[in-house]
Amino acid sequence: MLMNISYNWLRELTGARLTAGELRERLTTAGLEVEAVHEAGDDFVLEIAVSSNRPDLLSHLGVAREVCTLAGGEVRWPEMRAAREEGRTESFTSVEVEAADLCPRFTARVVRGVRIAPSPAWLVARLQAIGQRPINNVADITNYVMLELGQPLHAFDLEKLNERRLVIRRARAGERLTTLDGVERELDAEMLVIADAARAVAIAGVMGGAETEISGATEDVLIEAAHFAPASVRRTSRALGLQTEASDRFERGIDYEGQLRAQARAAALITELAGGTATTDAIDVYPQPLTPPLVPLRFARVRELTSLDVPPEDSIRILGALGIELAGANGAGRSAADAGGQGAASEATFVSPSWRADIRIEEDLVEEVGRHFGYDKVSDTLPAANVAGEYGAHEGRRREARRALNACGFDEALTYSFIDTAHDEQFELLPGLVRRAGESSLVTLNNPIIEGAARMRPTLLAALLESARHNFNHGTRDVRLFELGRVFAAGVEAGDQPRETEACALVATGVATEEGHAGASRELDFYDLKGALEAALAAMNVSSVEFAATSARHLREGQAAQILLAGNAAGVLGRLADDVAAVYKFKQPIYVAEVDFTSLLAAGETSVRYAPLARFPGVVRDASLVADRRVTFAEMRRAVLELNLEQVRRVTLVYVYEGERVPEGQRSMTLRIEYRADDRTLRDQEVDELHGRIVNTLEEKFGAQLKR
Amino acid sequence: MSSEVREQPQIEAVREAFEQEFGRFARFRGAEASAGVDALKSSEAETLLREVGDLRTRHTGKKSALANLKKMIGRVAPEERAAFGQQAQQLEAAIIESLEEVESLIGNHVARLRVERELLDVTLPGRRPRRGHQHPITLVRQRIEDIFVAMGYTVEDGPEIETDFYNFDALNIPRAHPARSPQDTFYTSEGFALRSQTSTVQIHAMQRRKPPLRVIAPGKVFRRDTPDATHNPMFFQLEGLLVDRGITMGHLKGTVTEFLRRLYGPQTRTRFRPSYFPFTEPSAEFDFSCFKCNGAGCRLCKGSGWIELGGSGMVHPNVLRAVDIDPQEFSGFAFGFGIDRMCMLNFGLDDIRLLFENDVRFLEQFN
Repeated sequence: MLMNISYNWLRELTGARLTAGELRERLTTAGLEVEAVHEAGDDFVLEIAVSSNRPDLLSHLGVAREVCTLAGGEVRWPEMRAAREEGRTESFTSVEVEAADLCPRFTARVVRGVRIAPSPAWLVARLQAIGQRPINNVADITNYVMLELGQPLHAFDLEKLNERRLVIRRARAGERLTTLDGVERELDAEMLVIADAARAVAIAGVMGGAETEISGATEDVLIEAAHFAPASVRRTSRALGLQTEASDRFERGIDYEGQLRAQARAAALITELAGGTATTDAIDVYPQPLTPPLVPLRFARVRELTSLDVPPEDSIRILGALGIELAGANGAGRSAADAGGQGAASEATFVSPSWRADIRIEEDLVEEVGRHFGYDKVSDTLPAANVAGEYGAHEGRRREARRALNACGFDEALTYSFIDTAHDEQFELLPGLVRRAGESSLVTLNNPIIEGAARMRPTLLAALLESARHNFNHGTRDVRLFELGRVFAAGVEAGDQPRETEACALVATGVATEEGHAGASRELDFYDLKGALEAALAAMNVSSVEFAATSARHLREGQAAQILLAGNAAGVLGRLADDVAAVYKFKQPIYVAEVDFTSLLAAGETSVRYAPLARFPGVVRDASLVADRRVTFAEMRRAVLELNLEQVRRVTLVYVYEGERVPEGQRSMTLRIEYRADDRTLRDQEVDELHGRIVNTLEEKFGAQLKR
Repeated sequence: MSSEVREQPQIEAVREAFEQEFGRFARFRGAEASAGVDALKSSEAETLLREVGDLRTRHTGKKSALANLKKMIGRVAPEERAAFGQQAQQLEAAIIESLEEVESLIGNHVARLRVERELLDVTLPGRRPRRGHQHPITLVRQRIEDIFVAMGYTVEDGPEIETDFYNFDALNIPRAHPARSPQDTFYTSEGFALRSQTSTVQIHAMQRRKPPLRVIAPGKVFRRDTPDATHNPMFFQLEGLLVDRGITMGHLKGTVTEFLRRLYGPQTRTRFRPSYFPFTEPSAEFDFSCFKCNGAGCRLCKGSGWIELGGSGMVHPNVLRAVDIDPQEFSGFAFGFGIDRMCMLNFGLDDIRLLFENDVRFLEQFN
């Protein structure tokens, strides 16, 4: 949260002679991040980014303490005495706290006979410099005191309070109140309100009511300063969508001893600037006074944690300047005074100030000492090496897979992990991601930030295709992308943590090779995609992968393959089905693949065993066979291998041809078979006989015909 | 002697026969020779070269008149034989010299023309398939991992969808901390949180391993920020953690400095500023001297000479206790920074949304 601090105001409170630029530098070094300094009339404004653990810095007093700690000197308290005092507050009003759990302390004081008017020029200037809008003298003073001391105050027109008294209670369900901003608000029974005898007159810690606010006719003012429970103020503020300077401070935590001081300061300013007579005391409902916690510090601990050599007396001085008082010392010295002297104590106890809820343990004190002693004095030291470094599991194979896909022309993409619910039924998910039959395995976000993107992706394809679309829209129609990332599925049992699986997806479309002096262009097809996947699998050294025809929801019938890993389904690849392509408005063929990368990594790696080099030459024979086009290469190859002929060493594909001179529904496939024996050179006659057997087998088994 | 009369004219006849045929090549000898050759087109030159070759075969080959002449030497009368032999050899040398001179002249010309014809434009692009590119985040992440593994760190990871315990409680994040609100953190319908910092992996790591330990955890994190030029609801962070006996902020600073020097060069300096994080105490943000201007001030560092990078601190004793490590015996440091932010700095990106748009024109710039 940003806090605007007036340089002049800060000087009044500290007497420090630093320039605004020096202050900026020194405060930032001590951990108060001054984001900007700008001029405002004869003043400078420092914009300080205040972290959530330091609500005390949402006041000039809080920043003044830091300045005094780093520049020396003590906080100079402003005028705290009223110009005129008479009568006790209880003679004019009363306070009843019904909901003490939400209001640990409530104080009230009265100033009678004020004259409401605009604030004097200096006050207007000061408020305006730090971005506040002046209203009238009394309202401005409550604001001013809050900015000075950090305690939010509220001023009521005493006359307008029913029975001139206050009750602090929970709102009645449905109770209504029009706040100072003119909005009528409906309250619920958990909200704390300040009420009079009849109705709510303020939302405690958030905003006052319009009906009881200070007006030009107000003569008697009731000033309220309280301590409201942070969680209660936060809840009310959120529920009403109403965030104010007061709620910001209460929900972060205010100085729980600061109410009477703020009352005194307000009474002093009102009687000075608006006239009137203050009561001599304040009503103070504080049934269970809070006691400040004691925090121990072993002085050596500063060095142990920060490496800074801070003498105990410096630690005590720094802490004291911040208002963290020494409570007692142990060790060599026995008294507080001794602790800073010679033969100093080895440890001491300090009082956590009422405005520093962040000071609770020894380490908190170490930080206070360290940051004011100076982190710039911390030396660079490398810890002694005593453990060995290690990459994440399979990092090497991951890198190989990326490089292999790069080599096949695929760019690496990264997409958001949440996708639109519109993709829910589009894709066939990886086998491991489907939960029990009939139940959705999708993981859903309650609070998506991008409209519609409420699903934790069960597939990488949806977003990867969006990326392809993005490229089309920007004139790139040759796109090859891959992504490695996690996909999600609900836990096995309701309430189980979602399952995360690493997936690898590929999207390819456009030309495989561009037209150029290297040759003519060629559109990429299924086999380019498969080749890329095979290259990645080979680079990862995955063993026993097979491809088989399949059908999948998002793939075109007849152009889909399943990847089998030791017989288990591990993903599909193929041409994107027309209905899915239409969703993305793709007009050119798109090829996609998605595999379970976790399973690939878990699968066995092929290990290298050297095979002796052949001593005798082999013989290569091709066989072109015309058969039904549904007869697959894998089937033919298997049929050859199943003959178990010792001399058959390799069966590979040369090419496939369909078209002229091949009957419709058939195709010609040329197989290349390599024959070799380990102990002799094969004779032609032997090879002829083996080759003949193979051709016969294929002809019989698949109704194939040898093309001569 | 009658033989004497017959032999002399035979030599002359061979000479004359050669000279008659060779006459048309005479222009390639003497002062005008090179001018004559240079005027030849490559097809003419090749034809001539072939013809010279034929001439050589005809006049010096095994069946040539010259060869016959040499065979006669043995039959010449002994007193004439030496003179005859000498004359025959002189004739042969003269013929060969003439042929070779012309042959080499035209041959060189042909070779020169071939070189000219087969000249390559070596500036034409080489033939190779288009290569894909690694994502800039991967490039940066791998570089960081390499550095830390060399410094003895183990790379760890944990779930991206977490329980409140790992995402908040164990990290000492107070119940009422705004980071827990659905305004800031994504929640699933079953109440799990998308991890909002990779610090969660600290906890997993400390449960898996006992000190001394050194761990880095690069990974995706999620915060409910609307995408704009400097925000994404998903980004990559790197968390580092070291727990051992006697660890101080000096070790933290030394480690961060060493890492940044390996990444940005040995001149790099670091600066620590006090800050607040629930899971560290004391806490500090760290800046490093701008790698562009080396601290002089430039556009990249907005004139300050320093680049803000990340947060760090000494592991909060409550965090150590949450994983049963005694904070009196062990201390540790943790640090974290955004990998996306580092990408933006290193490559000079002006819009962080580019990282997840996957525009090929963007991706192919990284190598």
